Amino acid sequence: MSGCGLFLCSVAARFCRAPAAFTVSRRPLLTSPPSRAFAKDLFLGKIQKKEVFPFPEVSQDELKEINQFVGPVEKFFTEEVDSRKIDQEGKIPDETLEKLKSLGLFGMQVPEEYGGLGLSNTMYARLGEVIGLDASIAVTLAAHQAIGLKGIILAGSKEQKARYLPRLASGEHVAAFCLTEPASGSDAASIRTRATLSADKRHYILNGAKVWITNGGLANVFTVFAKTEVVDSDGSVKDKMTAFIVERDFGGVTNGKPEDKMGIRGSNTCEVHFENTRVPVENVLGEVGGGFKVAMNILNSGRFSMGSVVAGMLKKLIEMTAEYACTRKQFNRNLSEFGLIQEKFALMAQKAYVMESMAYLTAAMLDAPGFPDCSIEAAMVKVFSSEGAWTCVSEALQILGGSGYIRDYPYERLLRDSRILLIFEGTNEILRMYIALTGLQHAGRILTARVNELKRGNVTTIMETVGQRLRDSLGRTVDLGLTGKLGVVHPSLADGAHKLEENVYYFGRSVETLLLRFGKAIVEEQLVLKRVANVLVNLYGMTAVLSRASRSIRLGLRDHDHEVLLANIFCSEAYHQNLFTLSQLDKHSPENLDELVKKVSQQILEKRAYICTHPLDRAP
Amino acid sequence: MSWAQAILLARGLSRGWGGICSTALTGAPFSQVPPQAPRGLRCSAAAHNPDSSLVPRPPEPPRQPVKALAVHEELFRPALDGTRDKANFVRAVQNFAQYNVHKRGHVDFIYLALRKMREYGVERDLSVYNLLLDVFPKEVFRPRNIFHSIFLHYPRQQECGIAVLEQMENHGVMPNNETEFLLMQIFGRKSYPMLKLVRMKLWFTRFKNINPFPVPRDLPQDPVDLASLALRHMEPDLSARVTTYQMPLPKDSPDTMDPTETHIVGIQSPEQQSALARHDPARPIFVEGPFSLWLRDKCVYYHILRADLLPPEEREVEEIPEEWNLYYPMQLDLAYGRSGWDDYEFDIDEVEEGPVFAICVAGAHDQATLAKWIQGLQETNPALARIPVVFRLSGSSGELLASSSELEEPPPPPPEGQEEEEDSQQRQQQGQS
Repeated sequence: MSGCGLFLCSVAARFCRAPAAFTVSRRPLLTSPPSRAFAKDLFLGKIQKKEVFPFPEVSQDELKEINQFVGPVEKFFTEEVDSRKIDQEGKIPDETLEKLKSLGLFGMQVPEEYGGLGLSNTMYARLGEVIGLDASIAVTLAAHQAIGLKGIILAGSKEQKARYLPRLASGEHVAAFCLTEPASGSDAASIRTRATLSADKRHYILNGAKVWITNGGLANVFTVFAKTEVVDSDGSVKDKMTAFIVERDFGGVTNGKPEDKMGIRGSNTCEVHFENTRVPVENVLGEVGGGFKVAMNILNSGRFSMGSVVAGMLKKLIEMTAEYACTRKQFNRNLSEFGLIQEKFALMAQKAYVMESMAYLTAAMLDAPGFPDCSIEAAMVKVFSSEGAWTCVSEALQILGGSGYIRDYPYERLLRDSRILLIFEGTNEILRMYIALTGLQHAGRILTARVNELKRGNVTTIMETVGQRLRDSLGRTVDLGLTGKLGVVHPSLADGAHKLEENVYYFGRSVETLLLRFGKAIVEEQLVLKRVANVLVNLYGMTAVLSRASRSIRLGLRDHDHEVLLANIFCSEAYHQNLFTLSQLDKHSPENLDELVKKVSQQILEKRAYICTHPLDRAP
Repeated sequence: MSWAQAILLARGLSRGWGGICSTALTGAPFSQVPPQAPRGLRCSAAAHNPDSSLVPRPPEPPRQPVKALAVHEELFRPALDGTRDKANFVRAVQNFAQYNVHKRGHVDFIYLALRKMREYGVERDLSVYNLLLDVFPKEVFRPRNIFHSIFLHYPRQQECGIAVLEQMENHGVMPNNETEFLLMQIFGRKSYPMLKLVRMKLWFTRFKNINPFPVPRDLPQDPVDLASLALRHMEPDLSARVTTYQMPLPKDSPDTMDPTETHIVGIQSPEQQSALARHDPARPIFVEGPFSLWLRDKCVYYHILRADLLPPEEREVEEIPEEWNLYYPMQLDLAYGRSGWDDYEFDIDEVEEGPVFAICVAGAHDQATLAKWIQGLQETNPALARIPVVFRLSGSSGELLASSSELEEPPPPPPEGQEEEEDSQQRQQQGQS
């Protein structure tokens, strides 16, 4: 059990948001009150209404400020950025980069005292919508500030911030984030880059190779993760990861030629090699040996913005395809008159609406005072928006038919560009594991006592559980207080709210059953975890749209009836999806084909080939 | 031949002893070979011998004159150029039908032809089997009434038909519609050959692919190729690499007699390689063998490089490092595990064995040859240099060596019968060793 306490400590640190983890000396972690987050409580079958209702608003001043920023940026992106040229040449032209720098887009989240714009997360998300119009620029900017220099903001000392942030914020220097290695993707233990302390103890000598580094060819400042030898508290020497700020001028930094990619071709991705690079000890980011937490916090912090970036892209896409559908005639009718085409527009609008709602809700949560842990929410936004982007662009291409496939039009580029969204910043598979496991850990801790009593055979608890299940199965109406007299959801959305409540309640029950069934062995049940994550993403989406649509009705915003329609469609669809998924999570569920699926894949992987005989082959 | 004649003849044949003595009584006087009653009788008796194969064995060569091998032997006289192929075989069968308008002795002829098929290399040819069945007179042996069906009607002919099917079965030849049609014409629907056919059609399809580890029908003749086939057959990991550590010397070189200059082919998977690298140098590893592996009618002998199982107290517990996965927790900090009623694992007592690091097939089973293998392995497994290797070779008697070298240097195709003898000899040796 002694190891258990240690692990608890690390887990707590992992789940606290970045600044909390780095102010350990000031705020002892174990005594700080646990930061309750909305998503984690969903695992217990509860809705923390305070966190998500009403939908967050920005003040009038702030709105004005945002619009001031957005106006010129939008003008620049629509008028001056030639996405097609960027894609074809595989490079963002220098004058475009200069203009981006002069607009201040290289320092959006850098505090104002260091020369950045100091935007809040909400404002950053709003700007993201515009930047999303060109994927290559969006990725370049994100690699620069969402991960490249984020480490310095989150974990840097005052001196480091003063030294690097001003020039990074102005765009004079470009930052890159060097974590991935040929042998190491998400596996931190297999990192081979090594930093050894020099004899005079004033430098670290850095050696190793990093691959797929966005901005690797442009960057002057790198956040590099390397293994260093750290003496443990018990005197043993261990290899631990440490983060360094490495300037190109330190020497020994070389990069390979830019990779030829499928999409986001304008962004620069290449290998970066470090050969005997001398890094001063002052450039250690965070603590020596604390690189793992730095990396994790950087990765967790940047994800929510994908929601608004994709939403911005989708809005533009809807405009373009609608234009096409309303002008192209077939059989003397416009394409827009065909049901199968109309359906696709509804789908795109619905996805855009949901991911927009989720993104801004999460941004507002992150902007809340204190250090709320919203990493699950951010991961959910990323999963939903990346998958939404892929389906929507694909559907749009269906509407466009042949012209969607032709290089002369921008559509195929959007498809290529959006494919990366499912892969980078943590693949969606990995994020689903993160979403499910983090939530289950939270629920598992709280339910420990109950589970133990059930396992021990405490009669009262068992009777209670059986009674509860009996009531559930006889069909109870779930009321978690979203509607009604003091409800937070507008009555015209009551139907969706009831569905959400029911889903949340039964999700809580399912989680309890799963914990009872699998306990900590659930880590190995990836197909179960995937379903848990899927339900949670839907629940979060439902909450976000209900909250947003309620607000729109109450404020009387223009076209709020359209929002109500979208919200109701999504809630209904998500509700049925959830019901199906939850039923798959039941033991002995006929809908659950996991065993068969596993068998098939095992046989295929054993042979490493498609197994079935050719349909034309004969028996004798 | 008219039908009436055929029926008359057949009835005459079946009288008395029925089919059993028909050859002896009626067939012999007309056959071109000098009549030898004892031979004919013995031959028929052999057909009834509840032997593994329904095809009667040829009479033992030393005691019998070559001429008296079988009734229609001369039909299978080798062609002028000495070739024996399908065309010659087909001609022989056609000649029989041509010269024997009454198809006398056709049962004997079919038995003989079945025996000859291997020599002519047509034992897997469906059309030849159909041709053989076509030798039977049609309609004669069909049961005419219910009693015929109940009692074995023309037993000798039916058995002969079954023998044809049996040989097809042994060589994995699936009958087709033509076979069925022929059998229907010859024996009718309600006959034993027909029953056999139906059973074959049912089970062949089911058993054809029953072996999850199929062996190719024609094995490579080259010992190195055969060895790598055998190794691939044993190794489940598809990333494993076959390495030829030593090629056999060409046959005409003067050193052929040197037994150490035989082929050495080994296989090792990357996992085995890393397991060997992790192996504690203080513990010896063993070269064991030879073990036998049968691939169809060939046997290869292999050796393994293995270690003893670590005692439980020395095994490293695989622990999850604290800082491992950048994206999600690799373990949950919960006090409870999988509940008993959700544990679908069967309760199996597993006997753990020590790890096997590599397998090899060599032409010789002595220590000198195997030491070369270990030397070759060291190139890819530097750790091997520090680990003591113990040779535990068993049964490397001259007998085993002789038989295996016989196999691996394929002799020219031996005449019929001799090869089977050799096979059985080997099997006996196999059983002894």
